[in-house]
Amino acid sequence: MSDAAALLLRIAGEDRTALQALYKLQSVRLFGVAMAILRDRDAAADAVHDGFVNVARRAAQFDAERGTAEGWLGSIIRHAALDIARRRGREIPTDDATLGDTPVEAAQLDSITASEEGARLRACLADLPEKNRQGIVLAFVHGLSHPQIAARLELPLGTVKAWIRRGLLTLRECLA
Amino acid sequence: MTPGERDALAAEYVLGTLDARATAELRGAMETDAALADAVAGWEQRLAPLQLLATPEAPPPDLWARLERTLGGGARRKAWRFPWPAFGLGAGALAAGLAAFIVFRPPPAAPLMTVLLTSRDQPAYLVEAERGTLRLAALNPRGIEAGRVMQLWALPQGATAPTSLGLIPESGRFSVTPQNIRPEPGMLIEISLEPPGGSTTGRPTGPILFIGRLSAAGNS
Repeated sequence: MSDAAALLLRIAGEDRTALQALYKLQSVRLFGVAMAILRDRDAAADAVHDGFVNVARRAAQFDAERGTAEGWLGSIIRHAALDIARRRGREIPTDDATLGDTPVEAAQLDSITASEEGARLRACLADLPEKNRQGIVLAFVHGLSHPQIAARLELPLGTVKAWIRRGLLTLRECLA
Repeated sequence: MTPGERDALAAEYVLGTLDARATAELRGAMETDAALADAVAGWEQRLAPLQLLATPEAPPPDLWARLERTLGGGARRKAWRFPWPAFGLGAGALAAGLAAFIVFRPPPAAPLMTVLLTSRDQPAYLVEAERGTLRLAALNPRGIEAGRVMQLWALPQGATAPTSLGLIPESGRFSVTPQNIRPEPGMLIEISLEPPGGSTTGRPTGPILFIGRLSAAGNS
């Protein structure tokens, strides 16, 4: 069991010191996850705040059979950040320099291969056509909506929707 | 809804491409539709490794205090007591302001931190330093080569050789108060792979696995 998973068990038992320890252990990574989506420190702080409130209330729902504690935490922060992005109408500059001109270089994906699951996902993503892969990463990591991805990849909106859907289907088969 | 449609919807939810209305509907449906909740959990697990593509960044120093205020209860404090964060990422401007009034208690040196990155810029360890003590915590625990150990080093700015801070236990958690150097902004912290017992030369002999530079907590 990872440190984070052990702390979640204690948080489920209403141990506030465990929540603080978890914050200390994970907040730098999780703030980064929120920043990648919101690209605004105040908004990202709101997302981490909202996410941790959720963690405190839902810790008992963490199921170690369904993934790592780190992944579970990241998913809660991501959804909190995505909710904030949606409330803002996703009026987020997508020409932000931090996104780079080619945000999803294949080599960049090598960085997710530390875990076995990451290595498998990397291999399956590599089999996707480039723009399908880029669409999936822009949505997941940077919180871009279908229209934002279409603008960024210079593709029609319908094409982007169909490609992402097909890409996800292919990923599922590949990872099965 | 066919199983295929359900799975496609779950995937788009996890990916984040559903709009606000569809998201709210799906969250409502998950409460009663176990198959849908299961499909969402499956996609969360499949795509979770992509979280590593986000670059780690220190949150604002006052965020924990704000979170504690929201959650209330539990560790409730008396109004006159300054809510000192119990760990390094806190303190900040308020602490600096208050320190001027607390004459009988010297203000603590500003906490420092860094995230040690792999050669692929992936976060590996969080290092915090406060009052001369360095604390290390693994962010993404991983195994190391059998028969090898990891050794922690510090290189003060301007120094020509690093100083060993000790061997890192398998748990990845480690705390040390070096006697001959003091953690300071700009100091390089690195972890090398060494034979059992650590380097015998006083310098790293194996590859540097992780590296980072200390800076004031809250400045990223």
